[in-house]
Amino acid sequence: MLFALIKKELLALIRDIHGLTALFLMPVIFIIIMSLALKDVYSPPVKSLPYVVDNRDNGRLADALLSEWEKRHGKSEQISTDWSDRIRSGKLSYALIIEKDFSAELVAERPSGAKQLELITDPGLGDGVFSAHHVELIMIATELRAQALLGAIHPVPPRSLRSGKNIPPRASAISVSAQALISAERWSAGSRPTAVQQNVPAWLVFGMFFVVASLANLFLQERQCGALARLASLGVPTGVMILSKALPYLVINGLQAALMLAVGVWLMPLLGGDALSLAGIHWSALLLVLLAVSMAAIGLALALASVVRTHAQASALGPTVNILMAAIGGVMVPKFVMPEVMQRLAEFSPMNWGLEGLLAVLLRGSDMAGVLMPTLKLTGFAAFMVIIAAAFFRPASR
Amino acid sequence: MLDVRNLSYRYPHAAHAALSDVSLNIERGQILGLLGPNGAGKTTLISHLSGVLQVQHGDISINGVPLASIRRNTPTRIAVAPQEYAFYPMLTVTENLECFAAAGKLSGNIKHQRIAACLASSQLERFAFIRAERLSGGLKRRLNLAIALLPEPELVLLDEPTVGVDPQSRAFLLDAVKTLAGNGTTVIYTSHYMEEIEAIANRVVIIDEGKVLRDGTLNELLNEDVTLVRFALEKTTAENLSVLLARFGKVEVVGEEWQVTLAPGRTPVALLAEVEQAGGRLRHAEFGHHNLEHLFMNLTHRSLRD
Repeated sequence: MLFALIKKELLALIRDIHGLTALFLMPVIFIIIMSLALKDVYSPPVKSLPYVVDNRDNGRLADALLSEWEKRHGKSEQISTDWSDRIRSGKLSYALIIEKDFSAELVAERPSGAKQLELITDPGLGDGVFSAHHVELIMIATELRAQALLGAIHPVPPRSLRSGKNIPPRASAISVSAQALISAERWSAGSRPTAVQQNVPAWLVFGMFFVVASLANLFLQERQCGALARLASLGVPTGVMILSKALPYLVINGLQAALMLAVGVWLMPLLGGDALSLAGIHWSALLLVLLAVSMAAIGLALALASVVRTHAQASALGPTVNILMAAIGGVMVPKFVMPEVMQRLAEFSPMNWGLEGLLAVLLRGSDMAGVLMPTLKLTGFAAFMVIIAAAFFRPASR
Repeated sequence: MLDVRNLSYRYPHAAHAALSDVSLNIERGQILGLLGPNGAGKTTLISHLSGVLQVQHGDISINGVPLASIRRNTPTRIAVAPQEYAFYPMLTVTENLECFAAAGKLSGNIKHQRIAACLASSQLERFAFIRAERLSGGLKRRLNLAIALLPEPELVLLDEPTVGVDPQSRAFLLDAVKTLAGNGTTVIYTSHYMEEIEAIANRVVIIDEGKVLRDGTLNELLNEDVTLVRFALEKTTAENLSVLLARFGKVEVVGEEWQVTLAPGRTPVALLAEVEQAGGRLRHAEFGHHNLEHLFMNLTHRSLRD
């Protein structure tokens, strides 16, 4: 009896081609994409990050620091007058600002306390990369300071100093660390870039695309029970049928967005996490991006519902497409830690367009003009999907 | 009222036409029984009338106006109650009626009047606020019909409207259809239940493999070309009865019944006399009238279908 039931189960599995696709093909594709995307996660491609330098110091130590930095991170780009805008928009990853007294302060036994070296980064730069750059700058500057201080005390350190014994009282009271001279900051729209600030946009986009499976299945249910054919026979135009599906889900997406933002703003602090900050953002830009993401998600759902024939197909395809778009699009793995090829690939994922738009609003404080490009891409995608939905729309199952 | 001429249709990539040169017509207030085995083309024909399929070859018109024009300008003149429960299970009976009434462009007082009338005619008032998914099979069928009648159509297409319902609900639905026709609505009624067609249809069309095999009033069909004698014996005392009967025509045995299709020149009286002379004692005998099921089975050759 058990054998017969197992045989039945296996036959049912083998004959469910779409279920099998979801079971086997999706993990394979997922492993490939995630492995490629995470290839450099433990050694982020920091060397390739674009940066500029504003060196206002003519001292030798400033040149030495920049020379060492270039060895590690490659040459800087030519600085332009709009460098700060380019950092805010994410076109540049960071800037190094060296103040005019950097060299003098670096060798001073008692520095004045003013910051002489600033690391200013793209607000979207991840915590790990940001901290790594900051620490690296402190390390290089400290090494230079140590060399300079030792040279000033004794061109050739006496045996006692080299052995660490009998250091003169004056020398031992001097701090070698250059940390006090260096500041690091991620520019943002008045909000502090935190993990929540960076994660909420990603999962918000992912969540909004979840309507794909729900809408597609309801659509199929209507078609299979004959309700759509009945509406068509009553003279309801195809466009009205499609619109009647899309508009409620636009509201659903709006509520989803409100809920997820509320969780970030109010619930996360209660759970001990950082709060999502919406201070200083352009609300019109946020609404525009959310609307575009919603339209793209609904368009995809409508196209999927029109193309597939069965619930099994919709149930397998919907989540698969969602997860793959998320994996490729920088939702699961930040785009900046991906290898170059995967970063290029990410630019083809609608989820990435939505994510870039939301990061621009929530981290970079972009206005309507700043989110125009991702919004246009999402709207174009939505329009294309609706055209597919209309072309393949069938009110009846046959 | 409805005139279908030389209608042919082939689905994409299909080897054979689903409909081939189908012609039929039906007058206002008539009930046309549409019979055919599975895959015969009934649903394809109904799909044309309901606007789901476009005409490839042939013409369909209502009162001389092309169907395409009617579907474009006044689609609610034709209503369909499909075989499936074509409504929203998560909505209540009233919510379903309101939804489809609005889809049929009913509004204001007229909408409320029509919903009330359809609830009443289908005796669904007690269930008005029950979700459709919780209704019994018979009630679902009644709701399916009620939705079709909302816009007061001139032509109603009922596709297997009594499948899966109890005898009471079936009787109710058949009465409702007769009342509908009595009020001047034209009805096309498909069913696999021959007794339903015999009970309500004025005209019967039998189709198979996309072709019309018979088209006529019920009487015309049941009395046409009758040469079949059916009889049963109390005991089969006659020896070699098959050989004896073979002299009168083609012989078949269906259960306990003998069926002889008389050869030219042979009469039923002579046949029955011969049976009695051979020692057979008749329990019952029938001649001069088909029943619809026999006619249907003979025309469609009994073979099982997909």
